[in-house]
Amino acid sequence: MISQWLSRFCGLMLGVVLLAGEAHAEEKIYIVTSLPDLADIAARIGGDLVTVESLAKGIEDPHGVPIKPSFVPKLNRAQVLIVMGLEYEHSWIPALVTESRNSKIVKGNSGYIDVSLKVTPKEVPTDLSRAKGELHPAGNPHFNLDPEGGRLIAQTIAEGLTLNFPQHRATFEANLKVFLAQLNAKIRDWEILARPLHGVKFISYHQDFTYFADRFGMDYVGTIELKPGIEPTASHLVELMQNMKTVGAKIVLREPHFSEKVPNQIAAQVGGLVVKLPIMVGGSPEVKTYFDLIEYNIRELLKAAQVAGVAGKV
Amino acid sequence: MRTQLQLRVLIGLIILAFGIVGGLGPVFAQNPGAPAASEVENLKKQMALMEEQLRQLRLQVDKMAGQPVAPGSAGPPAASTADPALEKRLGEVENKADAALTATKKSFASQFNPSLSLAIDTIGSYKSNAQGFNPGDGTGTRDAGGRVNNSRPAGADFNLRTAELFISADVDPFTRAYAVINASADAANGDEATMGVEEAAIVTTRLPYNLTVRGGRFFADFGTLPHRHDHDLPFVDRPPSIDTFIGGESQTNGVEVSWLAPTPFYLRASGTIGNKLGADSREGVTNVNSRPIKGLTYLGRLQTYFDLNDDHNLELGGSIVETPNAEDITNSGRFERRLVGMDFRYRWYPLGSGVRQSLTIAGELLHDIGEADPVNGGRRTDVFGNPVRQGAWGGYVYAEYRLSKQWRPGFRFDYFQLQSEPLLVTNPLTGLPASTLNATGHRTDNRTWSPYLTWFPSEFQRLRLQYNRSVRGNAQSADEFFLQWTVFLGSHSHGFSERE
Repeated sequence: MISQWLSRFCGLMLGVVLLAGEAHAEEKIYIVTSLPDLADIAARIGGDLVTVESLAKGIEDPHGVPIKPSFVPKLNRAQVLIVMGLEYEHSWIPALVTESRNSKIVKGNSGYIDVSLKVTPKEVPTDLSRAKGELHPAGNPHFNLDPEGGRLIAQTIAEGLTLNFPQHRATFEANLKVFLAQLNAKIRDWEILARPLHGVKFISYHQDFTYFADRFGMDYVGTIELKPGIEPTASHLVELMQNMKTVGAKIVLREPHFSEKVPNQIAAQVGGLVVKLPIMVGGSPEVKTYFDLIEYNIRELLKAAQVAGVAGKV
Repeated sequence: MRTQLQLRVLIGLIILAFGIVGGLGPVFAQNPGAPAASEVENLKKQMALMEEQLRQLRLQVDKMAGQPVAPGSAGPPAASTADPALEKRLGEVENKADAALTATKKSFASQFNPSLSLAIDTIGSYKSNAQGFNPGDGTGTRDAGGRVNNSRPAGADFNLRTAELFISADVDPFTRAYAVINASADAANGDEATMGVEEAAIVTTRLPYNLTVRGGRFFADFGTLPHRHDHDLPFVDRPPSIDTFIGGESQTNGVEVSWLAPTPFYLRASGTIGNKLGADSREGVTNVNSRPIKGLTYLGRLQTYFDLNDDHNLELGGSIVETPNAEDITNSGRFERRLVGMDFRYRWYPLGSGVRQSLTIAGELLHDIGEADPVNGGRRTDVFGNPVRQGAWGGYVYAEYRLSKQWRPGFRFDYFQLQSEPLLVTNPLTGLPASTLNATGHRTDNRTWSPYLTWFPSEFQRLRLQYNRSVRGNAQSADEFFLQWTVFLGSHSHGFSERE
């Protein structure tokens, strides 16, 4: 009697397990990314095979995303976690990953995809001291604003996904090829489009635009922040404005998560103008994809440079 | 990691060589159009491509090898390359790559060192007068350190409250561990800073079914602020209600099992068995003696969280601690300790500007329904020594508004009841001394109002000004001023449970 029940129970459990396995096999790969740019690109690489979700939204301060407990169940279910790396998310991702109890996505394991691996970081501090600010010990992490950075991100994601799901290698590679072909074409267009930005001098609130400026030949004059992550002091602002006047910088970039007060004051003082530029997908309502992000930033800057009369001749 | 790097450098070199010798053309000239129908086809294509590349390489090599040495250049050794400049550059690149590889191969004994951080928390304070509890006449009785219920005696004082070393690292693929070593002023040592192990715990990292086990000494999972370290509190002092009911931090020696429910929303449960609850527990229960199983302390907590929308969220939790039969080594009496707590935290944190502007409203409500006497230790008795079992309420609520990245004003209100202070009155019927407890059932009310202002010059430095107006039962009310200065060296993060 007991053995009969036992065998029935075992059969039932087996059925449940098989069903669960079956259901699981048909499910899409669940990818969580720290930032929306990664989600956009991962969705392109993964195509129909994946569901992608970004924890942060484009209008947030990527360095100060709050540790919301609602992120924990998402990370718990995630099959892959994609991060920017270079300590970009150091204040929130590590604590969340630990709490998620998902060993797959722990740094160093295959489910943890760090897209900075192929990037040659800029502004790597030679002197690691907190006196230099608090944010970028591994170098500037804002490489997503350079479309060539987008190429490296896409390649790293494709490799990472292939490592985790080798059965879908062909799809990932094919999708990557399509993405890169589009990106290559775009980059050619953007380089032509952005020619008037050559030599345009600008400041920004945070040191976000290094890679972007280097790509399109713009001239970074300084940041409103005293150091990355440190709010400006009065003397720093005086010095900055003096510097802007000396070199003739008119453009003040403001990232959406910083207040407009100080940038507006500076622009008024130096007779320049403020341009609000997103640093991530979704940072502005028009910016829905990674391609939108680069295109939007170039076009907004062109407009501003023309208004300010600092646009170069093509 | 290192092999990965080597592999990447190697692949990079190969690509570089291909690029230089064969021209980049063939590598990037693939048609990026329609995705391949199947993997096999894709592989075939790749093979074909590689064959083509190889063929072209061979052609080039053949061409170079077949090139006649220029008639005039008999002097130099017969290098078979066509372009010495190219050769030189290749050599340079190789040297650089070799140097980089060698650099990554260096090993240091310190490579496996854990991460370290140090918190320094110093407080200057002034208190108008001492506040007593027990006699109810304002004079107060003090413990060995001259304090009553952790409130400092009257007068001005500088206090190095914390010099806290936080050490953490992975132990192996299955566990991590951390320790918090604190040298803090301790009443038991005449306010001299003494080194103590606040926490030293081992935590599992790979258990199945979303389980985590923590063992050692740790701040037990009870409520929200009881398991925060002093310097991590949103105020200068721990809310007096928590201090009284828990006894400082919720420290325990024991083992905890926590579970994350596989639900789409956040739900976490934990259960702990430990010696006692409270680092400065005044119930006379210590870590020193062993005790019967019933003398251990059992804790449970359930917490959840909801995003009301992108900008508003709510956290709720409930906790219980039960010591069925605690033994007080000083009074050698036995008593039951039971405490239940509920906590909430509402946050308005607008996505785009939360770093600069946000609001937190949070609070905890505690109900002590055990027999333990949180002030004198042991079993709670009235003046006649009869055991008293009577519930007492306590709790706090605070609101903090973030004005900017740097400035955060806030206000806290704290309330707790003490029912263990038999106020000496004369029973009008018998003419004998009686306690208020027996005569009227009255408990004393203790209230504290605390406005405070925090300034963060940076993420790792904080100054805080706080004023406490406290009214303690029948005791004289007191004014307290604090100026707290805190810095953090190293990567300071106690992790998820200590999140802002």
